[in-house]
Amino acid sequence: MRKAGDIIGQESRDTYSICVGPVHPALKEPVRLNLRVRGERIEHVDFELSQVHRGIEWMGTRRNPIQILYLSERICGICNICHTFAFCRAVESIAGIEVPPRARYIRTIVAELERIHSHILWAGVAAHELGFDSAMHYAFRAREKVLDVIENLTGNRIMKAIMMIGGVRRDMDKGQARLVMEAADFYSRCSRKLEKIFLGDPVIKSRTRDTGILTRHDCLALCSVGPTARASGVRKDVRQDEPYGAYPDVGVKAMTPDEITGETRGDVYDRIAVRLREIKQSADIIGRCVKDMPEGKIAHEDKANVLLGELRGVQGEGIGRHEAPRGEVFHYVKLVGEEAPYSWKVRAPTYNNLLSWIPMMLGAQIADIPVIAASIDPCMSCTNRAVVTGPGRRQVLGQDMLHDLSVKRTRELRRGLRP
Amino acid sequence: MIEGLLLRTALVPIIACAGILLGLLYRGLDRVLVARMQSRVGPPVTQPFRDVKKLLLKENIVPRDAVGWIFNSVPVIALSVTVLILLYLPFIGMEPVLEGHGDLILVIYLLLIPSLALVLGGFSSGSTYATVGAQREMVTMMSYEFPLAVASVSIAWIISAANPGIAAFSLGAIAMNPAWAAVGPLGLLGLALLLLTMLAVMPGELGVAPFDVAEAETEIAGGVLVEYSGRNLAMFYLADAVKAVVLGTIVIALFLPWGIAGSLGITGMAAVAADAIFYLVKLFIVIFVGSIFIRAAIARFRITQVVKAYWGYATFVSLLGLLLISLDMLSRLL
Amino acid sequence: MNANDVRDSFKRRFAGRIMAARTEIIKHKLKQVRHASRVWITVDSGELKNAVRHLCKITEHPHFIVISGYEKGKYLELTYHFSLNYASVMEEVVLSIKVRVSKENPVLPTITDLIPGALISEREMQEMLGVRIKGIPDSRRIFLHPGFPQGVYPWRRDETGPARLVRNLHKGGGR
Repeated sequence: MRKAGDIIGQESRDTYSICVGPVHPALKEPVRLNLRVRGERIEHVDFELSQVHRGIEWMGTRRNPIQILYLSERICGICNICHTFAFCRAVESIAGIEVPPRARYIRTIVAELERIHSHILWAGVAAHELGFDSAMHYAFRAREKVLDVIENLTGNRIMKAIMMIGGVRRDMDKGQARLVMEAADFYSRCSRKLEKIFLGDPVIKSRTRDTGILTRHDCLALCSVGPTARASGVRKDVRQDEPYGAYPDVGVKAMTPDEITGETRGDVYDRIAVRLREIKQSADIIGRCVKDMPEGKIAHEDKANVLLGELRGVQGEGIGRHEAPRGEVFHYVKLVGEEAPYSWKVRAPTYNNLLSWIPMMLGAQIADIPVIAASIDPCMSCTNRAVVTGPGRRQVLGQDMLHDLSVKRTRELRRGLRP
Repeated sequence: MIEGLLLRTALVPIIACAGILLGLLYRGLDRVLVARMQSRVGPPVTQPFRDVKKLLLKENIVPRDAVGWIFNSVPVIALSVTVLILLYLPFIGMEPVLEGHGDLILVIYLLLIPSLALVLGGFSSGSTYATVGAQREMVTMMSYEFPLAVASVSIAWIISAANPGIAAFSLGAIAMNPAWAAVGPLGLLGLALLLLTMLAVMPGELGVAPFDVAEAETEIAGGVLVEYSGRNLAMFYLADAVKAVVLGTIVIALFLPWGIAGSLGITGMAAVAADAIFYLVKLFIVIFVGSIFIRAAIARFRITQVVKAYWGYATFVSLLGLLLISLDMLSRLL
Repeated sequence: MNANDVRDSFKRRFAGRIMAARTEIIKHKLKQVRHASRVWITVDSGELKNAVRHLCKITEHPHFIVISGYEKGKYLELTYHFSLNYASVMEEVVLSIKVRVSKENPVLPTITDLIPGALISEREMQEMLGVRIKGIPDSRRIFLHPGFPQGVYPWRRDETGPARLVRNLHKGGGR
């Protein structure tokens, strides 16, 4: 075991070590960055991830696929659709289950709503890391609307629990469709405004332009995914490369910074630009999906026990992929005809993007650490497949009371929003 | 003579308390206004009072690696010196308590001490974050010192040129003789540039965004203050709040020294009250422009950008102001 | 290069040393018909490095996704997942190369010299399955806490698995 003195303190005459995390105001989730610094310049980067490992994959091999749906939802709060979506696709590909078109459209809409909320949340966090709290509060307020829509569609703001193997659990009615359409319009406009705030502000620009550069070469070598890769000019997007859900009908094109700013530098500014423009892209996708939504069934099989029985007899291995807000989510599932899968491997996007921190941070200043760290939109829970809540912590509100309050709120929302 | 001394001695604690209360009140206003600008509700105006009360009740933790005596003494120094500066200034429209015992030059030197105390506290607390913060504080301090000096000296020069025989650096004299009245159009432009410089120096002195590099919560977790807690932190907090009043008062004394009573034709106690209220309004405006608004409007700079902003732009603007004033003076001589 | 081409290319290169190879096309029947291509190849563990090398030859910058793995009887099976021809509509192929190593001597060569991005995954395999990766540039643990007991591999199902720890959670941490 290392002593605390090895981590903080003088190492040589000119360089010293500074450690950021696992608990640090710049980090929203625990990870530890060990940096060696000369003056304000970073000369060596290392990170430790082990703070929040929960062994979710191990737990998955002791549960049946429908239980895993809810388990995978809890891998990460923000990508909760992504992991369930990828898991569903993996199991569906093994069992040869055909998902009804309407369910595909609903899945796509919810996934895109999630992308909007995740990207706006990220924009807010990035502004906070830059010490620009006004922009953070603007972004967080803009995010409220999408959370309301998600709550209306699924009953929860964050944990959507709408995915089911072979379809979705809740249908969308006319009133909800109108609401989603309104939200899509709102976010089309909102992304323009956010772009004006973030890309037009001279101080943000001076802080992020040419900061944390990830070259195209490094990006390919380190296998980065998602907006991090796209900002470096790699047009990698599962929605484009291997269309699934309703994306074949929509036709998504990967967003790269040269379409927004006219050049690709692979810096933090480009990553901001890509994410903000993707909000608009998502809003457009949602608009098209709502307009073109076919009628029909929303699930391959309504009864969970029948579905489980069907899955119990299935053998084989499958891959499920989904483009999460942060990049590609990859699930590998092996079923051997038993109740629980024999193996389940989750690959969250941050898993691949973490290594790109090293080329981004080398040579940068201490002041740039937070915004570079945030620029890949790291999700430690996803990567570690773990989350920490205080064990044995007492809640002021009892579970029943919280549940009643949530039900009440959802009913209010539904009553208020139906035509 | 003795009576005057007694009166002045009696005024010291009153001014100290008034300065602290006013500082906390403006800090509360600052928080509410920033919250409103960020479309938040924000805390009640009395929140800083509660914060200080809570901090004073809390345990004072000294890290194991800290140099204890420095670590514990610098907060006291920071607060007492900041309050001391107030005694040299025409606070709430009154004549400075220590008029005749020190002038603008002394005030500028004294202004360094709270920052130096922060630097010492940072270095003595034995944390890497605090060390980085202290280095940044030092660099920031060195950067804004020159434009501040240029602005102050220019004002004194104008006043000494306009009123031969006066003690030009005395703050009382400066407050009595507004510099704006003593210059022509070129000089007015020059003075406006100097006012701009002073307002730009204010956020740096106060350590608020975009110049909050020394504390930079998201980067170095509070920087110089990272190890401070309890009573020590409360004293730094108070020193910071009073410093806002001090800087506001300096700007008012140098650039906006007018009273309102004369033009309204009020005399006696009513005039003192009117001037005091007018002073509070001016102080609010100065703090709003120099700290509150800028804090909500701009992201944090890197330390290199801070240096560039002060050594480059602020110095340039202040020298340009000085040049314009010199031209104005020369044109009058000719 | 579509899925069948990839499979055939590997079959030609590793004639006789390839244990299984299949392609799988998943069709999406919407207004636009689209498909997802998967190629599954099983090679001998000694040929893993050559397979990855071959992969780097037939495509530019194969994208390494992750390594998945599990224990099966006396063996450990690891699957290296790659994505080829990405950044283009419909042409992407997900290639999974499966290798099998015995539990007595679970050694595999590193592929980080060919694909540096595989580092985290290789470190994960070392701690989770107890595979030794020869030539890995950084062999520290990545997801498991330094205090987690040595010689326990969470993804194993035998006596080296975590069952003992799970039953006695209070004894976990290995102190």
